[in-house]
Amino acid sequence: MENGNPILSVRDLNIKFNLRGRTLHALRDVSLDLYKGESLAIVGESGSGKSVFVKSFMGLLDANGWVDSGEILYNGEDLTKYKTEKQWLTVRGKQIAMVLQDPMTSLNPLKTIGAQIMEAIELHQNLRGEAARKEMLSVLTDVGINDPERRAKQYPHEFSGGMRQRVVIAIAVACRPQILICDEPTTALDVTIQAQILGLIRNLKEKYHLTTIYITHDLGVVANVADRIAVMYAGDIVEIGLCEEVFYQPKHPYTWALLSSLPQLGVKGEPLYSIHGTPPNLFNEVRGDAFAPRNPQALKIDFVKRPPYFSVSPTHKARTWLLDPRAPKIEPPEAVKKLATEGVKGYA
Amino acid sequence: MLKYSLKRLSSSIVTLLIIISVVFILLRQMPIEGYFDNFEKVDQAMINAKLEQLGLNDPIPVQLWNFLVDLVHGDLGESARYSVGAPISGLIAKKAPISIKLGVLSMGLSLLLGIPLGAAMARGKGKFWDKFGTVYIVFINAVPAAVYHIFIQLYGTSFLGIPMLFDEKNLITWILPVCSMALGNTAYYAMWLRRYMVDEMNKDYVRLARAKGVSGQDIMMKHVLRNAFVPMIQYIPTSLLYTVCGSIYIESLYSIPGMGGLLVDVIGRQDNPMVQAIVMIYSCIGIVGLLLGDLLMGVIDPRISFVKKEGAR
Repeated sequence: MENGNPILSVRDLNIKFNLRGRTLHALRDVSLDLYKGESLAIVGESGSGKSVFVKSFMGLLDANGWVDSGEILYNGEDLTKYKTEKQWLTVRGKQIAMVLQDPMTSLNPLKTIGAQIMEAIELHQNLRGEAARKEMLSVLTDVGINDPERRAKQYPHEFSGGMRQRVVIAIAVACRPQILICDEPTTALDVTIQAQILGLIRNLKEKYHLTTIYITHDLGVVANVADRIAVMYAGDIVEIGLCEEVFYQPKHPYTWALLSSLPQLGVKGEPLYSIHGTPPNLFNEVRGDAFAPRNPQALKIDFVKRPPYFSVSPTHKARTWLLDPRAPKIEPPEAVKKLATEGVKGYA
Repeated sequence: MLKYSLKRLSSSIVTLLIIISVVFILLRQMPIEGYFDNFEKVDQAMINAKLEQLGLNDPIPVQLWNFLVDLVHGDLGESARYSVGAPISGLIAKKAPISIKLGVLSMGLSLLLGIPLGAAMARGKGKFWDKFGTVYIVFINAVPAAVYHIFIQLYGTSFLGIPMLFDEKNLITWILPVCSMALGNTAYYAMWLRRYMVDEMNKDYVRLARAKGVSGQDIMMKHVLRNAFVPMIQYIPTSLLYTVCGSIYIESLYSIPGMGGLLVDVIGRQDNPMVQAIVMIYSCIGIVGLLLGDLLMGVIDPRISFVKKEGAR
């Protein structure tokens, strides 16, 4: 997947928000290439900017947020230049579709499931009437809803959470997008349903030739679905690489900490590892490595100068001074090494 | 749906019976002087004869039963003081139609103005229409109604040359009272619609609709407006009926021969049969309004189920 041109290419993106007169620097020089047909997972804790990042691809930032600098290239066009709704309507749904986190609230309670899917079909596939209806029924079948004729006439409250998420996915797929963004698609669901939904998205990705982006903070989800992982912290991608590379040869101290806090790596009887401190306040300009204050082994330079990306392999790079040839050798924590040698049941 | 409607209807009737009984019993506790024009001058024998004739010496449950039996036959009794001896149903039938016509017209007007205003306010939150509407709503709520009603009458009649007094045959005299009555409800509808629309606009399904590429205009018309209407629709019948029977001030301002001031009038005159009849009519109106509101809401909102819950998944 690395060969070929990226379908979406983000360069040095900076996004800021205005909150009660203060400016929050939500994304700090983020760059990313998304390749056609791949499945990318963006992981990070709440507030790390992962949702803001993908929303900016669709012009869905809240009214108080704006792209300060950088570019988002899609099909040779810079999406950050889009100003009017009319321009964005050529992208939303048509090129990039989205599945939201909470299926319980993301459907209109007063419209039938069928009508809500038809809306997307009529907008993006230029079908009307009976043809649109046929298409709607076939999409419902594709997302695994039995008896679509009857179900299409029902309202969202007649569906369970998992079924509603299938409907939301059906709406996204019915737009026939190039890129499908799944914003924590399983967070609000039962554990037993999660695997089904992830499997469904994977199947649809093949069938409709989609490029998918998952946003999640659940590394279990990541291991199941992703080809590549981007780890975000404090509005920046600190490490990105193939799934195996990030899981088995992580380089950034934040990735280490994240992996060490996997419950599956805990030792029975001992408290689970947790990262101390809180993420930096993005109202203030971050100096050096944003993770340094929470990193017990931080180097002096981490507090002064922001690290550049160091390549580990052609597909793997990380923003940490530890990769500089002059840096002292610091071993990853035991848990991470254990993960690399033994692997963890259920993970990668 | 039918079963639910019948159930609601029967509980409404029980409510109505309770209201009638309470009012009836309370009115029987009033001093009997109210039944006489010249109480000081009549002797005990005449008083007894009159009370006997009116049936007031019977035990209260018997009186109540008689009243209810008459009611079933469409007989509301006779006026005691307001228009002595005249059947009450006839008196009300003469006055009610004008109030109803005025009420329906003003209601229609306020829906016609209030809904677009509310929608415009919600769409351009913080912009011109929102500010304009807010000023209007605050004005209507803060300034005593009497003040602007008088202004409307004063300036409407002098600048537009509309006659001061209401004349049912002269359509131009309908304009001022209908507009005056619509002012309050317009503000009310605009305020609530804006509020409910803003609520809806912040919901996830609107975000999903935006993400799937629906234009802002269509989101407003096809998703937000309709959903915001659900909580409002419940109150529309009630507010129509209150408009019909609540326009005391405007009816007196334009000398409209409607129902508006009737209740106050007959209470002042201690006309017990009239009081109980009118209270009963108003409670009927209130109960019917609530019932209609609930039924309408059930029609528009599929989440409200009238039948036993069926397996959802």
